[in-house]
Amino acid sequence: MKTTVLPLVLRTRTGGLLAALCLLLAGCATNVNTVERAQSQATPNYVADKRVITDNTLAGAIRVVSVNQATVSGNLLKIEAVIENLHNSVMTLNYKFEWFDTSGMAVASPNETWKSIRLQGRETSTISTVAVNPRAVDFVLKLRE
Amino acid sequence: MNTIRLKPTLLSAIVFPSALFLAGCATVENTRTVDSKGPEALNTSSINSQDWANAADQLVQSLLSSGALDKAPTQPAILAVDRVINNTTLSIDTDLLIKKIRVALTQTGKVAVTNTMGLGERAVVASEAAEMDEMTSGKKAVMKAPNYTLYAKLIQQTDRANGKTQNTYTFQMSLTDVKSGLTVWEEEKEIAKQTKRATVGW
Repeated sequence: MKTTVLPLVLRTRTGGLLAALCLLLAGCATNVNTVERAQSQATPNYVADKRVITDNTLAGAIRVVSVNQATVSGNLLKIEAVIENLHNSVMTLNYKFEWFDTSGMAVASPNETWKSIRLQGRETSTISTVAVNPRAVDFVLKLRE
Repeated sequence: MNTIRLKPTLLSAIVFPSALFLAGCATVENTRTVDSKGPEALNTSSINSQDWANAADQLVQSLLSSGALDKAPTQPAILAVDRVINNTTLSIDTDLLIKKIRVALTQTGKVAVTNTMGLGERAVVASEAAEMDEMTSGKKAVMKAPNYTLYAKLIQQTDRANGKTQNTYTFQMSLTDVKSGLTVWEEEKEIAKQTKRATVGW
């Protein structure tokens, strides 16, 4: 049986390529596969949104798929955003909701703070909040890395 | 008198490291104001300010979304804060959680927290004012009985593996209808903090 011995330079390059390939595969290992109903039974009340992008890196990493709203407990607005990690690796996203009343004035909310969520590679998840003040009619969702 | 003359380059070679050395010894206070509930807040293995806010927010969201408070016989529903059990190793003031929940629920206008029973803030001055009102008007003050009681418990579980320690803090909360004794809403939220032991240290 003939054994081929690779020269040192070639062996180093092959090792480097293998290591890079392993890293690439390891990066994909956190990705999330999903299965869902083919025809959704839900009828979400989608919000027509306006987006302001000041961080292109973040916009390329996290996508806000949709925003929908509902009313809970009679007169409190609930907002839920579907977000997607566009990368093949785990990402931590910080987000914060802010509320505004009919006059456009900010409505202070005691627990509306920066929160973080960890998303696996290519994972889609939801972030939501409920306005504790019935005067809140509008919102701003802030996102940062 | 003999004078030692140093070359400028030699002089700077002595003075510059000395300055650096002295600067290193000086204690420079570097304090900045941060958002206590923001990403800049110090993340520790215990429950930090951001964790308290997140836990309170998630619990309030769950309670409001459940619609449990809408079925109250009176509006706003009268709530008494029951026991808050701290089964963690942390010496903490449970008001860090309860007060946030009370503030949020009161803002909704759907809840009024009674301070005459339970763990609510004892309304000493209000009680004295009620007594005075009784004496002057001759009418007995009417205390309102709560419709619901709120019970909370904090639990800590510590796991260690591969040089890592994970503290999982569980925030449990229940709302009980006092008339029926039934639990009308329950929620449990967890926050896990993983700490890796330093490889160099003594």
